[in-house]
Amino acid sequence: MLEFKNVSKIYNGNKKAVDHVNFNVDEGELVVLLGPSGCGKTTLLRMVNQLESITEGDIHLNNKSVKESNKIEMRRKIGYVIQSNGLFPNMTIEKNVMIVPDLLGWDRKKQLDRFNYLMELIGLHPDEYRKRYPHELSGGQQQRVGVARALAADPPVMLMDEPFGALDPIIRTKIQDEFLQIQKEIKKTILFVSHDIDEAVKMGDKIALFRDGQLQQYNHPFEILHRPANEFVSEFVGQDRVLKSTSLYSVKDLVDSVSLTGYQKAGSVQTVQEDTSLRIVISKLLNQEAEQLAVEDTKGKIKGILTLDLVEKFLYKQIKETPKRTG
Amino acid sequence: MKTKKRIAWIVKILFWLIVITFFTWTIMNDMFRPIVEDFGEFTHLLGQHIIIVFISGLLAILISIPLGILVTRKSFQKSEFWIVNMANLGQTIPSLAVLALAMGFLGIGMKAAIVALFIYSLLPILQNTIAGIRSVDKNTIDAARGIGLTPFQILIKIELPNAASSIIAGIRTALVINIGTAALAYLIGGGGLGAWIFTGIRLFDNAFLISGAVPVTLLAILVDYFFKIMQQVLVPKGLRLAKK
Ligand SMILES: Nc1ncnc2c1ncn2[C@@H]1O[C@H](COP(=O)(O)OP(=O)(O)O)[C@@H](O)[C@H]1O
Ligand SMILES: [Mg+2]
Repeated sequence: MLEFKNVSKIYNGNKKAVDHVNFNVDEGELVVLLGPSGCGKTTLLRMVNQLESITEGDIHLNNKSVKESNKIEMRRKIGYVIQSNGLFPNMTIEKNVMIVPDLLGWDRKKQLDRFNYLMELIGLHPDEYRKRYPHELSGGQQQRVGVARALAADPPVMLMDEPFGALDPIIRTKIQDEFLQIQKEIKKTILFVSHDIDEAVKMGDKIALFRDGQLQQYNHPFEILHRPANEFVSEFVGQDRVLKSTSLYSVKDLVDSVSLTGYQKAGSVQTVQEDTSLRIVISKLLNQEAEQLAVEDTKGKIKGILTLDLVEKFLYKQIKETPKRTG
Repeated sequence: MKTKKRIAWIVKILFWLIVITFFTWTIMNDMFRPIVEDFGEFTHLLGQHIIIVFISGLLAILISIPLGILVTRKSFQKSEFWIVNMANLGQTIPSLAVLALAMGFLGIGMKAAIVALFIYSLLPILQNTIAGIRSVDKNTIDAARGIGLTPFQILIKIELPNAASSIIAGIRTALVINIGTAALAYLIGGGGLGAWIFTGIRLFDNAFLISGAVPVTLLAILVDYFFKIMQQVLVPKGLRLAKK
């Protein structure tokens, strides 16, 4: 779907921002471009929609070189979301969201339906926000509208440059969750820039980790966390990488892999849902909120008891027994 | 806050008291006699005054705004320095000297006055156009490019609406200055209400002086007010709200 072929970018004839990068992104995949600030993530992203020229190498989108595509037409088929939302302050929310469909000449009815659909998708009431202006919205709402605008003409590909980077942590977590939910529904091919390993692990089907413009490792979050390709990767993901990997799993994954301790109806036990992240489970167990947790399935039936020992066993199994996956 | 409001009120009341006193005095002393006695001549001079201001202002708008747009295009960035400085030069030379220079080239008459005032009005509009376009958030432009707007669409849909307030403010400033300066047109034979003002000065006749100066002042206030309303009409609602 999206192929980076030996891509390099040199600014002003001397500053090498992207250095011979090779990797492919499959359809429907969300790939996080990760790395410290200044490592060339934004530059790489902007070469895809040709906001920056490619110095050397090429990028293919659907087997066609982006260099040879008509820039304007191509950009209208690629969603683009930036950190500072970039909404047009002089336009209403509806005009903002519908700008690309409008340029593409969609009729009024089709635009209206699409606007309503998108606003529902991002969790804002269409009629309430239609005639409002960007500055009347909170930061989180503006960012949601930015996402809706990028999705407006239903582009197969989305480029997102630290889309939630400017939001405060609580809103950020919330929007990340919402967006993952949306992605489940829309299945876009997404390049998502981040400098935050936690965000990358949470959002990415795959992570491409960069340093000084060079690709260090490109693989599933699990592989990055458990089998760092080199010193830099291992340092970047941090010494708590095993803990970080726990957010990759839900209670259900654990239940499917190791058997729970039996449950006796004695005293009161805290319950967790099957879709809870393992990270939260560990936090609860360590927090002395409870020594054990009862796992509840979607129907409210208790399936068994979960303890720290079991979590440890599960993680050990994952790390040692999961076959090596490649990007 | 309260004291500020109170002071504003006192200033306002004082201002209107002075205005009322002034007009009572002028009317009691029959200061508008020239207007009443020679109404034909008055409308003639007023018409000349308006034509000078209108044509020179319109020309300045028609030249300055496209020039400002041109200068802010990426490929023309280097020309900005020269263009702004040339307009600057027109502005820093005293208005009387610009008039004299224009007269040197075009001889006496209304044409020279119009050209001089045109040169004099260029800068405020040009500067405000450039500043207005420059003030548009870089990220907004970047987003617009990224989602596939053409440079022309970015100009029409994003840059100009966002710069509208600043551009109109520039026109407002230019025209108000222009109306006052147009009184000097008389000195190079350009006509206008300056005729009565300078006659009044020469003959120590306050009636002529006031019959010339008061309409000029009122005209300036009227035009200023008109553009204040234009600002409300032409500046997109989202931006007006954002300012508050
Ligand atoms: N327009 C530009 N001109 C020159 N150098 C640039 C430009 N944009 C980015 N750079 C440089 O290229 C490198 C990579 O920048 P960037 O892609 O923005 O990194 P990141 O998004 O990972 O923080 C940095 O060293 C930055 O200073
Ligand atoms: Mg960046």
